[in-house]
Amino acid sequence: MLRSKRHTVEDLAAAQEFFHSRGWTDGLPVVPPTPAAVQACLEWVGMPPGQLIGVEPVRQRAISAEKLAVNAVMAGCLPMHFPVVVAAFTAMLREPFLLHGATASTGGCAILIVVNGPVRKDLGMSGGFNALGSSDRATTAIGRAIRLILCNLLDARPGDVDRSTLGHPGKISYCVAEDEENTPWRPLADERGSPAHASSVTVMAAGAPRQFMNEWTTRPEEILDTCVAEIKAVMRHYSIWPGNYAVVLPPQLRAHFDAAGWSKAEVREYVFRHARIKRREWAECGKGSVVGENGEREYAALREPDDLLVIAAGGPAGGFGAVIPPWYGSKSNAVTLAIGACVDCEV
Amino acid sequence: MSIEFLDPTHESQSGASAAAKRLASLSGATIAIVSNGKKGTKPFFDAFERELSDRYGVARVVRLTKSNYSAPVEPGLLAESGRWQALIAGIGD
Repeated sequence: MLRSKRHTVEDLAAAQEFFHSRGWTDGLPVVPPTPAAVQACLEWVGMPPGQLIGVEPVRQRAISAEKLAVNAVMAGCLPMHFPVVVAAFTAMLREPFLLHGATASTGGCAILIVVNGPVRKDLGMSGGFNALGSSDRATTAIGRAIRLILCNLLDARPGDVDRSTLGHPGKISYCVAEDEENTPWRPLADERGSPAHASSVTVMAAGAPRQFMNEWTTRPEEILDTCVAEIKAVMRHYSIWPGNYAVVLPPQLRAHFDAAGWSKAEVREYVFRHARIKRREWAECGKGSVVGENGEREYAALREPDDLLVIAAGGPAGGFGAVIPPWYGSKSNAVTLAIGACVDCEV
Repeated sequence: MSIEFLDPTHESQSGASAAAKRLASLSGATIAIVSNGKKGTKPFFDAFERELSDRYGVARVVRLTKSNYSAPVEPGLLAESGRWQALIAGIGD
């Protein structure tokens, strides 16, 4: 039985003002979460309303399936989208993700959700054109659902728990499906230990995507040199600390890796070896006061090659890739979880 | 036609934490300060510690620092909390 408090208003316009006036939206209109719509989401995943998804560790808030469903409906999710929302939020509750820090920090990251497996096709997720910019209904609604859940269930509203100095547009929705059909590469979740052929999500506390472009070479090393330069820029201008970076590579660039027989593992290894700066480089960009006596100390962007999440996505034309930096080094670690897995299941 | 919908917020406010009982006086007390570990907390808490001692007669100030300023306090840090009369969680940047 649904337990949430019920509200009644005269019409759709009144519903929008009701939500906006209470700070329950992200500024965009919402779909009123009627009992029938919420129940449909719960039935799709076979969960009773009171099923415990997890407990937010700082304030010990128990998060129920019903409350996730209410916010998912508001974001525009269909019932078939809801399993992805449940999996993404379950993954965010895992200890290595450090949910409170990632959603409260002045650093202003957003939750990047990468979807793998058959569910992408079931939901019409694209992974192609405009892959990082709301490419389709499912990715947009699912990413937005996570934001509304954070706002309404954990009070991560701007100026409340969310203390972001700037934030970035990915906070509205930051979900991408990997383009598994157009690459010989193994899917991200598969490489991170999710069961083969399962549908999975990977969540990462992520900065804004930083686009790079190199259409003037066919050599994987040179393409990655451009990518590494962007990572080094992050280390010089933002944070020097290592952690999960994501790299998004579109078909036009991937074709060169395919021709040269490069796997994702080789991409990770190359970036691991080359994405390094010396502390003294901070003096070149206004941070000389913190160089101290460790100027020759070398810092790597990745603690190990597997820190890099290599994602195949993007439209068919254009040598545009993207580097997605971590929120703040290794404070939060990316988590991969099979969709449909229980809270205590290990992938 | 009216629309009925469900409340999206966390309605239950029950949690593990509640406001602690206030001390009648700070005089002679042992007060712990747990810093989040950011650099800017040190001069602030140095001054705060002096104020506690000089103005309020606090007998002893225990200074503790979290190892990760973005994470909850590690349980071991509060192992001796039974000896303190109050604890102040200090957040700085």
